[in-house]
Parts: sequence; structure tokens; C-alpha cells
Amino acid sequence: MDLREADLDPRQIDIEIRKPGAQPDRSLAITRRTFINKAILAGTAAGAASVGWFPIINTLDLAFGQQAAFKFAWLSDTHLYPKDVNTRFVEKAVRAVQEIKAMTPPADFLIFGGDMAQLGDPVEIDLGADILKELTIKKVFIPGEHDWYLDLGTKWERTFGKTPWSFDHKGVRFIGLNTVGFVPDYWSAKKMTPKERMGHMATLDGSVAGPWAGVGEAQRQWLDRAISDWPKNRPLVLFTHTPLYEYYPPWNFWTRDWREVHEIVRPFANVTNIHGHTHQVLYNEIGALRSIGMLATSWPWPYAPEGVPALTRAMIRADPGDHFDGVGWERLTRTAADKIENEYVMWGRKDIFADSMADSGTADNVNQILSPRIADRMYPY
Amino acid sequence: MRTRRRAVIAGGAVLVLLALGPGPSRVLAPPDALAHKAKHTPDQLAQFQQVFMEQVRIGDLLFHGDADTEKQLNVILSKTGMACAMCHPFASDTHPHEFPKFQEQVQKFSTLRDMINWCIEKPNEGEKIDSDSDAMKALEAYIYWSNRGSRLDTGRH
Repeated sequence: MDLREADLDPRQIDIEIRKPGAQPDRSLAITRRTFINKAILAGTAAGAASVGWFPIINTLDLAFGQQAAFKFAWLSDTHLYPKDVNTRFVEKAVRAVQEIKAMTPPADFLIFGGDMAQLGDPVEIDLGADILKELTIKKVFIPGEHDWYLDLGTKWERTFGKTPWSFDHKGVRFIGLNTVGFVPDYWSAKKMTPKERMGHMATLDGSVAGPWAGVGEAQRQWLDRAISDWPKNRPLVLFTHTPLYEYYPPWNFWTRDWREVHEIVRPFANVTNIHGHTHQVLYNEIGALRSIGMLATSWPWPYAPEGVPALTRAMIRADPGDHFDGVGWERLTRTAADKIENEYVMWGRKDIFADSMADSGTADNVNQILSPRIADRMYPY
Repeated sequence: MRTRRRAVIAGGAVLVLLALGPGPSRVLAPPDALAHKAKHTPDQLAQFQQVFMEQVRIGDLLFHGDADTEKQLNVILSKTGMACAMCHPFASDTHPHEFPKFQEQVQKFSTLRDMINWCIEKPNEGEKIDSDSDAMKALEAYIYWSNRGSRLDTGRH
């Protein structure tokens, strides 16, 4: 097909471009797609221009202007303790809600991405529900591991409904998956109390709960059915608590069966995975599936010693003296061109991304070698 | 003459050892240690390692906010339910191999212990612990142990 034909439908051009055989060089594909993602430096735009993609990008943008852009908000990882134990986390969750409320025009909906509570306590979940009551826009929820393991999801599901779910909104199919609720039983044989079970799950670098993050066979089959009638070139968004790829398994910064999930969504040209759990800026692309990591409101995590996706533009090293630094929420836009764009609303400073190693959250990894902990592997565990 | 002098020295050594009382290193030293050094036995080395790993274990528990261990050592590392490990899984981003250095948050040239205490006080909202206490040494042991193999790069910001 001669792509310079002026009367060709731009949508056809896009399908042609994305076909495996006819796909542009890998580096160009990344450049084009990530140029549209606001997370990339102006330098990349210059790169895109220099290889002649500019005319095509502009054409696609204009041609796809069939549905108006809309915004939605992501909030996650509030890790609330009861109010009389820790007020800082409450402060930060409240601030996020106030800022989301102040969005003009208002967000179409809020997605709460999990880890509302810290220790799965009904008091903590109720506190979160209370704080979110301020927001009267549509709200959808997926659980985090901290919400689930005190009572195996009972309080969560009663308050926020079951997962998985899906809904269509202005030409996008949004899907919420549960990647936290299916860990193999690590508590019965050791006769753990619910609090002990929750305690082990709540320890990110613990070694007792094992590799718990996964979608599971039943939910994968559900996903397959849920997207079977969706046009392959229409945008699809998968909300998960954990990343849908392998970043750093020792901290459960992954989803065990991510490859199978990728297989299921492979026919789709425009899939975006938005996830929490990692409390840091992350960006990855595997095939046509983009994964964007969201911030927490509670605290930022260091980048893992290995596995940080090459496409991630590292965020700044947070200042531990400022409990508002390195945390926040996100404004996401479905643009007129059917792209999902993300804007981090990070508190504490104006620069989100690091320009130099001295400021970068990945800077420690030049020297650092780490070991798993031992105390929870020794007797009686 | 020489034999008697040696016997006197040996006897004196025993008295000194008895006076100082038992302790891991002293119990391990054979009575004629002051006369000439004895070679390390594998058992001794294993015992040194055991003492170290026990401190690493205690440090690991403190680092992860274990309430029983805190009570035993009489320290309050956080009043808001926080634990060091929450921000530092595997003791990451503690960079003990880069201390001492000018520490921005403290606005002073600091050792690892200074930074540990700053963290206990400020983000963790706990009570500072004595720099030479067993709790501090245990925390230090765990942090260093978890970062062993890291490249020594003292003074890096």
C-alpha cells in the first residue's frame, strides 16, 4: 500500500502501520507512541521529526477527532491507618480527594487502584470510604493486597463491589482486574491468625506470602470473554493493582501470569495497562501493551535494584524529610486521537522526572547490591 | 627459671580471665592466649559468624517494626505504625556504603547512625535511640548485611 496516497482513510493507514509485517522499525514505533505520551522529553519529538513521522502523527491526530477528549482520575495506595495512629496518610488522601474534586471540567470518573487500607482493618476501609464520599463523580475500585488479607476480601467486596468488572465509556472499554486475591494458602498449615496472615502480606520484602500477584485462570477466561466483542482497534484500558509485566518479583512488582494476559489482549492495537502498587513513576511497552505506573499518596518506593523498564524516565529521589514529596495522584486523558495520556500530579516539588543522576531515584543502583531478609524465614516460620 | 616465669604469666592470665568474667570472645580464648596466639579453629569462626548473624536477625526484626523486639531493647522506633522496611524493602536506598557524607536532611556531615536516628525521629515519628546502644548496632548490622557486595563509594550524595 502506498501510504502517501492523499485520499486514504488515516485509520486504514494506522492499521496498516501496526500490522506485524508492515510495522515500522521498533525504535520508530517507540518514538512515535511515546512522543504522544506526555512523559517524554521534547528531545524525542525532535527525534520523531527527523525520521519523517511528523506529518503522519498530525494527520492521525486530526483525523481521529471524532470523539471529544475526556479526563478521568487515578488514586491509589493511600495505606490508611486508623486516624488515631497515623494522621499523615489521612492528610494526604484528603488532599488528593480535594484536588480531584477541584478538576475543571470535572473528571468523568475516579478509579481507585487498591491499597486503601494498610492492614485490611474494616476501620481503615471505612475511613477510606469516608474520605472518598466527598467525591460525587462515578467511582470504580480494584483491591490491593493490603485491603484483602485480613478477611480475604469480605469487607472490601461488601463496601466497593466485586471484581473483575468492565464498562464502556465514550468509546473506551475499561476493565478492572483483581491481581491480589489469589495467593496459594500460606497461612493454614502454620495456623496463622488473620492478623498474622495480613502482617506477612503487608510486608513488601517479606518471604512468607510468596509470589502472590496473579490474575488466575478463571479471571483470564473472564477477560477473554469480556473483550471478545470489542473492536480490535478501539482503545482498551486494563486497571490492575500490580504491573502486568515482570519488574521485580521479590517485591511482587509483577503479575505471575502476565504473559498469558498479554496473549489474550494481543489482537488489540491500543491497550493500556494502568497500575499502582509500585509507588513510583514507571513506563513500559511490550508489543502493543503499554503499562503506566501510578504514584501512591502515602509514600514513594525506591526503584528496585534490577528490572526497571528501559523506557521508564526515572522520577526524582524523594526527600524523606517532606512527607508530601514523591507522592500524589494522576489525571488521565483519553485524547481525541484515542490515546490515553497520563499526567502525574506529584506534590512536594515542580520536577517529577530526574534530569541528572544526582536527582534520580535510580541513582543508587550504580553501587547497590541487596539481600532478601532472613528474620521471617527462621523458626517458627 | 624460664618455666616458672611462664607458669606465673599463665597463672596471671587465668586470674585475669576469671576476673573479667565470661563473654563470647573471652570464653573462646584458650588459657595460654597471652603467651602466644592460637590459630583460629573452624568452630571459633562459626561462633563469630553466629554472633554476627544473631545481631543481623535482631536488626532485621527492628527494621521491620517488630513490637516485641522493640520492647525488649527498650526503643520506640515509630509512634505512627511505620517501620523502616516500609520505605526501604531489603534495606534498599539506605546506601550504608556511601556514608559518612554530607547528609542534606541533617544539614551536617553524617555517619550512618546519624541518618538512622534522623529517620527514626522525622519520617518514622519515633524516639531517637542512643548511638552506641545494642539496638543501633543491630540495625546497623542488618543494614550493612543486606547491602553487602555493594560498591564502597563513600561521600556520594
